[in-house]
Amino acid sequence: MTRVEIQANILKVFSDRFEIDHPGMDEDLREAYEFDSIDAIELLREIELVLGSALTLNEKKAAMDIRTINQIVDYVEALAKARAAD
Amino acid sequence: MSRLPNAGSAVPRPPRTWVFTMIDLLVTLLLWGYFTVGFVILFSPFYALASIPVFDRTRAFQWFNHLFYRGFFGLCRLTMPRQNWRIDPAIASIRSSVVVCNHASYIDPLLLISLFARHTTIVKNRLFSIPIFGRMLTLSGYLPSDFQGPLAGRMIERLDRMPAFLDTGANLFVFPEGTRSRNRTLGTFNPGAFKIARLCRAPLAVVRIENSDRLFTPGRFLFNTCQANTISVRLLTQMTPDYDSAQFSIKELIDHVRALLETAAEPDPAQEGATTRPDAG
Repeated sequence: MTRVEIQANILKVFSDRFEIDHPGMDEDLREAYEFDSIDAIELLREIELVLGSALTLNEKKAAMDIRTINQIVDYVEALAKARAAD
Repeated sequence: MSRLPNAGSAVPRPPRTWVFTMIDLLVTLLLWGYFTVGFVILFSPFYALASIPVFDRTRAFQWFNHLFYRGFFGLCRLTMPRQNWRIDPAIASIRSSVVVCNHASYIDPLLLISLFARHTTIVKNRLFSIPIFGRMLTLSGYLPSDFQGPLAGRMIERLDRMPAFLDTGANLFVFPEGTRSRNRTLGTFNPGAFKIARLCRAPLAVVRIENSDRLFTPGRFLFNTCQANTISVRLLTQMTPDYDSAQFSIKELIDHVRALLETAAEPDPAQEGATTRPDAG
């Protein structure tokens, strides 16, 4: 999965699930859209669907400090690469 | 023999406020006694037993919390005859739901724990760091209100297990205002409860508590035991939103629930000139 595809997937999730359309790629989601920890958990479930595999607790905990779309895309890209390497 | 002026006529008695203050103090101390000594003597052995890992600790702690607060409100009924408790029988039928409720007094969460044997709730992060009490909250399976930092792992695990927890018939009750109202109006709603409901695809139950703040007023140490008061808990509605619909909106759901809670608000008895003390008027 390319970075562009990951980004498109994430933006679609934000639009469909969280009613957040066209967020800035480096915008602080918590400050700008009140995207909180519960949203983050829901996003992680969507990411599991995108990746086609479950996340470990440590992988989920690592996501809790993520604040921007770019960071989310980095996170998913790293997970996709790690799974492809396995 | 002349009569003293006004002798035999109805002379207004001075308000016996000190008497009521003493009664308030005694009952408050009794209730604190239940919280402390009563807990140690009556309940701590059971909690200690439930701490043994062979038991379902979370379930046992929730059950003992439920019994403990049933005892608390039993004591309230016994010692405060001027308090009328009106609990909607439909409350007992709430299962597997996220219960959202207005919040006016510290006793509101205790009241809901006393009504739901299988329950969990969201608790402010700082309370988890209070010795013993924080440990109780953890072992009871309650959720921290924000889960950055050290509480992140615990919250993730609990939310992962929440759908299965609700499936057993248990309820998650939440005060979306986050804190007690100081003026009987609804504060701003946090969306957390509604997001958890969507996350778990759970039904919502909207509950309104009335006049708990007249019994235990925010900022006051003493219970107002002597004023006539009716504390009510009402189920306003139960609903299962279509979370997967393209039209579903958390904001609209919050607005809807808020409107329900506002519409159901009963007039403030204090503003209606209701009796506040047994000898008033």
